[in-house]
Amino acid sequence: MKHWFRLHTLALRHTLLGLLRHPLSSLLNLLVIAIAAALPLLLWLVLASLASVSNRLPVEPQISVFLKNGHDVAATKALEQELAARKGMAKVRFVPRDEALRQLEGATGTTDLLAGLGENPLPDAFVLTLHGTDAAPVEALHAELARHPLVEEVQVDSAWAQRLERLVALGRSVFEVLAGLLALALALITGNAIRMQILTRREEIEVARLIGATDAFIRRPFIHFAAVQGVLGGLLACGVVALLLARLNPAVSELAQAYGQQFALQLPDWRVLLAVCGATTLLTWSGAWVAVWRHLRQWR
Amino acid sequence: MSTIQFQQVTKDYAGGFTAVKNLSFEIASGELVFLAGHSGAGKSTLLKLIAGIEQPTSGTVLVNKQNLARLSRSSLPYVRRHIGLIFQDHKILFDRSVYDNVALPLDIIGFDGREAKRRVQAALDKVGLAGKEKLNPVALSGGEQQRLCIARAVVHRPAILLADEPTANLDRDYANDILELFKSFHQVGVTIVISAHDESLMADYGRRILRLKHGQFTA
Ligand SMILES: Nc1ncnc2c1ncn2[C@@H]1O[C@H](COP(=O)(O)OP(=O)(O)OP(=O)(O)O)[C@@H](O)[C@H]1O
Ligand SMILES: [Mg+2]
Repeated sequence: MKHWFRLHTLALRHTLLGLLRHPLSSLLNLLVIAIAAALPLLLWLVLASLASVSNRLPVEPQISVFLKNGHDVAATKALEQELAARKGMAKVRFVPRDEALRQLEGATGTTDLLAGLGENPLPDAFVLTLHGTDAAPVEALHAELARHPLVEEVQVDSAWAQRLERLVALGRSVFEVLAGLLALALALITGNAIRMQILTRREEIEVARLIGATDAFIRRPFIHFAAVQGVLGGLLACGVVALLLARLNPAVSELAQAYGQQFALQLPDWRVLLAVCGATTLLTWSGAWVAVWRHLRQWR
Repeated sequence: MSTIQFQQVTKDYAGGFTAVKNLSFEIASGELVFLAGHSGAGKSTLLKLIAGIEQPTSGTVLVNKQNLARLSRSSLPYVRRHIGLIFQDHKILFDRSVYDNVALPLDIIGFDGREAKRRVQAALDKVGLAGKEKLNPVALSGGEQQRLCIARAVVHRPAILLADEPTANLDRDYANDILELFKSFHQVGVTIVISAHDESLMADYGRRILRLKHGQFTA
């Protein structure tokens, strides 16, 4: 155990010295690894941020029915009961204009809108929630209510939530393909870098083998090198992505606020960091393993 | 007790060239044996067969009663660690110091740092290279490089020492110094095989001489 540990610390020291001995090629390698990891990470974080928005939004179709001002209370009550009794209706909520004003104040962060406006401009409204995600019944109800004498205007609120959800789903498929391809590229690039290193150290490997080195001994420095590059590349990727997103965030939040939404892109947290470094290390490690294996198998 | 045993060993290289043919002999534990023969006689091939670097085409090579051809890939390195090799083409690594060249076998075995240092120093002292450990091997003379190879071959105290033309290209006095060095290893019980094409050097030592000619023994 102690012996094993010593061999590894020795190899690790050699590795770090090796990195410093060829700073330019090591740095280039590192950059390639970092870029290959940063692209899918960036996409994943954006998707995760969007997904959290689309989760907050109702995906079940929601229809806002704004009523004409000065309508009859009894007729409104009758309409509410008639709507609630319909098939496929999940919820009917009456939102009086005073409540709507308070909600607006809450959402915009202003306290005294009335003072500026003089009179509450908002109408009474129904918020209808329907079962299912089919567009057809929603469209039918929309058309019907628009013609109703009590109704000023009808809005289908959930359409863009559904669109967002589909967009996120599409983004996920793109992410999967991209991540897969870049993972493969990362392993191949590292494998090739290790193959070049093996070629420059061919003599040393041959002598070591002839005087009793095991495959593990020969493999060790290359594996270490690849693993260190994997960890550093993963860290670099997370750092670059975090910086980028942090710079984008003020603009993104501003944009979201224009639509009355609280939204910010998620930065990589420690779990993401761990996952990214784990993935890059595993990939560079396997790339190196295969490269060394291909070199070693020429001997008995 | 024999340490090295050949039973009707033949080695054909790829292309069908027969380098050694139907060789049978034994070398006892602790023996010092010379291997003589013209260039191309098969001396290096024979030594490589002992070290398991080449496999016999037919016949059996036993080292410490172990058939090297039957060993698995993973156990061959451990057998090699009992053998010290001095290569005809030296195989010195010029990307590192004299010290690091000699330390390589100990690194491979996994010696503890302080003990390794002690042993490397002792081996360099023994071959007369003390004080040159920090140099790059290119800075050594031919004879000194030869000594470096010897130091690397004995630093891990192998039971068997195989020296392929360790005196090649050295003047007679220097060559005798080196043979004296081998004699001192022999005195502490190491089994040694030394090849050379100049038989006159060996005559003075009164040891057994295996004479090869076109891959076969002559009287
Ligand atoms: N790897 C190889 N492939 C093919 N033929 C080889 C190989 N190694 C050696 N030979 C041939 O086998 C014969 C014996 O070679 P070997 O190296 O054993 O001779 P040697 O006695 O050591 O000669 P020298 O004194 O020149 O070193 C030679 O004719 C050589 O050409
Ligand atoms: Mg030879």
